[in-house]
Amino acid sequence: MIKEINFKLNGKETILEIHPLKRLLDVLREDCGLTGVKEGCGEGECGACSVLIDGILANACLYPMGKIQGKEVVTIEGLVGTDRYAILKESFEQAGAVQCGFCSPGMIMAAESLLRRNPHPLEQQIREAISGNLCRCTGYNMILDAVQMAAKRGDGIW
Amino acid sequence: MNKDISTPVKRADVSEKLMGTACYIGDMELEDMLYAKTLRSSEPRARLVSITYPEMPSGYFVVDKRDVPGKNIIKMILEDQPFFAEDVVNYIGEPIALIVGKDKAVLRELIAKTSIEYERLKPVFSIEEGLEADTPIYGECNYFAEYRLKKGNLKEARSRAKYICEETYETGYQEQFYLEPQGVIAEYKDGKAVIYGSIQCPYYVKNAVIECLGFAPEMVRIVQATTGGAFGGKEDYPSLLAGQAACAAIKANKPVCLLLERNEDIEVTTKRHPSRIKLKSYIDENYKLTGMEADIVLDAGAYAGLSGVVLQRAMFAAAGVYNIENLKVKGKAIATNKAVSGAFRGFGSPQAFFAIEMHMEHAAKTLGIDPLAFKLRNILKQGDKSTTGGIFREKILLSEMVDRVIQMSGYEEKKKLKNANEYKRRGIGLSMFFHGCGFTGNGERDHIKGRARLVKNEEDHIEILIANVEMGQGAQTTMRKIAAAALDIELNKVFFQNPDTDRVPDSGPTVASRTTVIVGKLVYDAAMELKTKWETGKRQEAEVQYQYPEGYQWDNDSFEGDAYTCYSWGVNAVEVEVDPITLESEIKGVWAVYDIGKSIDDRLVRGQIDGGIVQGLGYAGMEVMENRQGRFIQRSSTDYIIPTAKDIPMIQSELMCEPYSDGPFGAKGLGELTFVGSPIAYALAMEDALEMRINNIPVRPEFLMEVADDDKRN
Amino acid sequence: MVAAYRPKNLKDALEAIIYTEYIVLAGGTDLMVKKKQGAGLLPAFDKPVLFIADLEELKQINEKEGYLTIGAACSFSSLIDNPLIPALYKQVFLQIASPAVRNIATIGGNICNSSPAGDSLPLLYALDASIIIENSCRRIEIPIADFITGPGRNMLTSSELVTAIKLPVLHFDYVVYKKVSARKSTALSKVSFVAMAKLKDSRLEDVRIAFGSVAPTIVRSRDVEEAIIYNSSNGSLDKTEIISYYTTLIKPIDDQRSTAFYRRQVCKRLLVDFLGNWLC
Repeated sequence: MIKEINFKLNGKETILEIHPLKRLLDVLREDCGLTGVKEGCGEGECGACSVLIDGILANACLYPMGKIQGKEVVTIEGLVGTDRYAILKESFEQAGAVQCGFCSPGMIMAAESLLRRNPHPLEQQIREAISGNLCRCTGYNMILDAVQMAAKRGDGIW
Repeated sequence: MNKDISTPVKRADVSEKLMGTACYIGDMELEDMLYAKTLRSSEPRARLVSITYPEMPSGYFVVDKRDVPGKNIIKMILEDQPFFAEDVVNYIGEPIALIVGKDKAVLRELIAKTSIEYERLKPVFSIEEGLEADTPIYGECNYFAEYRLKKGNLKEARSRAKYICEETYETGYQEQFYLEPQGVIAEYKDGKAVIYGSIQCPYYVKNAVIECLGFAPEMVRIVQATTGGAFGGKEDYPSLLAGQAACAAIKANKPVCLLLERNEDIEVTTKRHPSRIKLKSYIDENYKLTGMEADIVLDAGAYAGLSGVVLQRAMFAAAGVYNIENLKVKGKAIATNKAVSGAFRGFGSPQAFFAIEMHMEHAAKTLGIDPLAFKLRNILKQGDKSTTGGIFREKILLSEMVDRVIQMSGYEEKKKLKNANEYKRRGIGLSMFFHGCGFTGNGERDHIKGRARLVKNEEDHIEILIANVEMGQGAQTTMRKIAAAALDIELNKVFFQNPDTDRVPDSGPTVASRTTVIVGKLVYDAAMELKTKWETGKRQEAEVQYQYPEGYQWDNDSFEGDAYTCYSWGVNAVEVEVDPITLESEIKGVWAVYDIGKSIDDRLVRGQIDGGIVQGLGYAGMEVMENRQGRFIQRSSTDYIIPTAKDIPMIQSELMCEPYSDGPFGAKGLGELTFVGSPIAYALAMEDALEMRINNIPVRPEFLMEVADDDKRN
Repeated sequence: MVAAYRPKNLKDALEAIIYTEYIVLAGGTDLMVKKKQGAGLLPAFDKPVLFIADLEELKQINEKEGYLTIGAACSFSSLIDNPLIPALYKQVFLQIASPAVRNIATIGGNICNSSPAGDSLPLLYALDASIIIENSCRRIEIPIADFITGPGRNMLTSSELVTAIKLPVLHFDYVVYKKVSARKSTALSKVSFVAMAKLKDSRLEDVRIAFGSVAPTIVRSRDVEEAIIYNSSNGSLDKTEIISYYTTLIKPIDDQRSTAFYRRQVCKRLLVDFLGNWLC
C-alpha cells in the first residue's frame, strides 16, 4: 500500500509515494540518499539515527512514515551549512569528540536539540541530553567538552 | 613543522564524519547489487541431516559449502573453522548458507521458510564441561591450545614460603559493541574478487579470501570502508564475511552485500574470552612474593580463532607488574559450543591482570598487611625479568605513577574516611598494570614482517601506503604526523587513504598498538630514507621492512626471552558509591596516569584513555552476557547494556614518559593499556565499599545481593 | 500489503475502528521494535495500523477540580514540560528511556502496552489513575488496576481507544521513587518502586505503595496500605507483618535483566527503608 506523504525535509517541501509503515530511517537512507543518518541498532537504543522532527529530537528508526505527514524533518545534512553547525563542528573537532564517527551525526543532532532548548547547559544536563546516544569510542567526556565549548562560542546563536 | 609532535592537530577524518558524508559499508551501493542473508544454526551442536529450502524465485539462490571454489576453511591459526558449515554445526548462529537476491524482504521470507533437520550431538557449554568432554569438539582433548611456561625454581620458592595464598578468579564475556555493525560488499569482475568492508586487517581478509576462492593473490583485492569502531571485533570475523560474500558474488556474477543486523552481530560475532584463573602464591617472611603458580583457562568457543595467541598474552601477563622470580604458568583454551571468542582490546591481558591484582589485594588482606604497601614492595624495576625471562630494559615509572594517582585521587584520605556516611557507602580502588606492545613473541619477526611504503609525487606530496586502518583510534592522523615530522614538512602535504591491498604493502594487521609502535616506526624510517634521497619535484618512493631490534631474543617453543620489546604502563584509581539498599554502584571519580612513551597527539591519546577506561568500567560493572545452553541471554541492543553518558564521571588523566628507543619519536602502545586497569580499580573500589572480597567480574548487584543474603542475616 | 490509516480527528478514528481491526500506534516506540524486521524492511504489522499520535483531542492536558486529564497521545516530554504536572510525577517520567524516546513515546502507549515494567505504571497505580476509554458511542472510566489484566494484556477491545488518563493532583509529604536498572539511561527496569506518605499533625493520613517489574502486573494493595494507616495511628504497626503481606504479592522472575532473588530482596529493602524512614 503506497501513500503520498507530504513533509518538509531539510527545508524542502517533499512529496513521496511511500508505504506509510516504512521506517523514516529507511526512507532517509534509501529513498532520499541521506546516509548521514546511521542505523546502529534499529531499536531506539543507540541514537545513531537521531533527527529532528518538528524541532524535537527523535530516533528515525522508531518512526513510521505515516506519522511524518505534514511534519518537518531535519537530518545532519540539513544542519550542515548553518552557523550553528559551524560552531558545533569546530567544537567537536577541537574537543576531540569524534573517533569512529558512527555516532557523530546523531550526537550533533542531540547537541543541537539541547542547545535550542537550553543554550547554556550544565554538565549534568548535557549528560542527560546525550544519554540516548551511545558512543563506544570516546567515553563521552570529550563530547561533553565539545557541547560546553559550543555553548560558550555560540552564545546568543541558539 | 617544528612544534612538539604531542601537540594536537585536527583529525584527518573529522569533517566528513561529522557531516555524515564518510562512507561506511552500509552507505555504499554498487550497481545491480544483491543482498545476502545468513541461514544459521539454531542448535549448539548437531549433525546436519538435511536442509529443505523453499522454491527459490528467479534471481534468488542459495550459497553454501558447495559454492566455495577453494578451501572451505577460514585461514587463521588452526584450520578448523569453515566459511559455511560442512556436516556439523558447533554453535547457535553458525552460518550454514547465504540466501542471495535483490529484495531483503524476500530473503527474510526464504530464510524463514527453510527447514533444517538436525541430529543433536552432546554439547559442551562451559569451561568445566569442556575440560571433561567425552566427545571433544576439537582434537582429542577438546582444547585449541595448551601451553606451559616456567621461570626460576618454584620448588625452592615453595619450600621457603612462609605464607601461601590460593584463589580462583573469573571474568565474563564482553561484546565489542562497535557502533557500526559488521558488513562487507563483494564484487567479481574480470576474474577478480574485490571486497569492501568494515575491517581492521585488510591482509588477513585478503589471505582468507585467496584460500577460500583458490585465486592467485593478484586476483583478490580488499578495500577498507570507513570503519565505525572495531576494538578487536573486526580483526578476524570479517574474513568469514568476506569469504562468504565473495563466493556469493562469483555465483551471482553481481555485487553482493552482506551486512549484519545489530542483534545478529551481538549474537554471532566474536567476544572477549571468559576466563577462569587460579593463582597460588608463595610469600616469604619479608612479604616478598617469591613464587607463583598460575592456571589460566579461557573459554574459546566453537573454533580456534585467535585463542592460542590470546592465551599466550594472558599467560605472559600472569605475574602482573610484580617481580616474581619463580613461576609456573599453564594455560588452556577450551572448546565449547558457543560463538567463537576472539580479539577485544587487551587480548587476554585484562583477564590476567584482573586475577593478579585481586590476588595481591586478597593476599595482603589475608596476611593482615596494607595491600598497597605489599604491592609496592614487589613491583618490577628496570632490569628485572618478565614472566618469560625477558628483561625490562627501560626505566619503570610505576612507583612515581602510584604516588601521582594517590595525590590526584586523594586516595589516602578517602581510604580513611570511607563509610563515614553510612547511608551511601563509598570505596576506592587502585590498580597497576602494563601492556606489552605489538605482537606477542615472534609475531612481528617471523609472521608479519611488515612493510611500509611512502610515495612522493611531483608536487612533493607524500602518500603513506600501509595496510593499517583508521577505525576511530586516529591512525590516519598519527601516521601523517609521524611522516610529516620525520620529513620536516607541513602536515597537509601528507596523505593517507583507507588501505586498498592493490596499492598498499602488507604492513600487518591493525591490532595490539602495533600501528603506532611498529608501523609508525616503519613510516618514520621510510620517511627518513626519503628525506635523505629527497629530490624536489620528482616522484620518489621509499619502502622499508620490519627489522627485529637488536639485543632482544625470543624462543617460541620454550616461551623464553622477550615476549615483547616494549611495555607501556598505567595506574588507575576508581571511586564508587554503593547504594546500600539496591547495591547498585555509581562511579564517583576516575584518576589515571600512564607511561606511553612519547605521545603522538595528546588529544587522540586522551580519546583512547577516556574510551578505554569507560569500556573497562562497563566490563567490570555493567556489561553482563550470560550463556545458557549455548544461547546468549543478553543478545539484543536492549539487553546488552553498555555505559551511557550518565553512567560515568569526568576522568582525570596524566602522562609520564619513558620513551621507547625503537618507537617513532619514542612512542609506545596505548589503546589496549587504557582498558586494562579500570575494571580492576572498580572491583577493588567495590570491595572497599562493601568490605567483602570480589573474585569475579562483572560485579553485578544481583551477585552482591546473594552475598548480602538478608534472609540469613536477619 | 497491510493498510495504515491516519484519521482526521478523534471521531474519524473511533468510526474507523468499528468495522476494521487496527493496531493502534501512538508513539510506536515499543511497537516499531516489536514488529521490526531489519534494516530496509517494513515492520511486520499483521493488521492495519491506525496512527493516532497527531490527534489534537488526544494531546490535551487539563486540570479541573483537583484532577488532571491527560490526553493519551501526550508524549512523556510534553508532560515533563507542562506546568500543570506536579514535580513528583515528572520525576518518574524523567527516568523513562532516553530524551529522544520520551519525545516520541506516549503515556497512553505505556498504559496500553501493559508491561509489568512500564515505567509510568507504578505511579499511576499509586495515584489511583483511571483510564478513559471511548468508542463511537460511549465514554467510560476504568481504574487502571482493573484496566490492565495481565502482562501485555488489558480490557481494551478493538473498537475502543484509550483517549485519556485521569489522575488526581495529590500532595504527599514523603515520596520515594526508585527505578532500579542496569544503567542510568535507556534502560528497562529491574524493579521500580513508588511509595508516598501523607502526614497530618505528624499522624499518617495516607500511604501509597506500588512495585513494578516484579509480578505479572503492578503490585499495589489498598488493603495493606489501609492496615498501615490504621495500625500506625494506634501505634501497633508490625513491619514484619507488612513485609510478609507484600512478599505474597511479589512474584518476580529470572530474566535477561535480573534475578528473581535480587528483585525480591530489593523490594523488601526498599519497603523496609521506606517504612523505617518515614513511618516509625
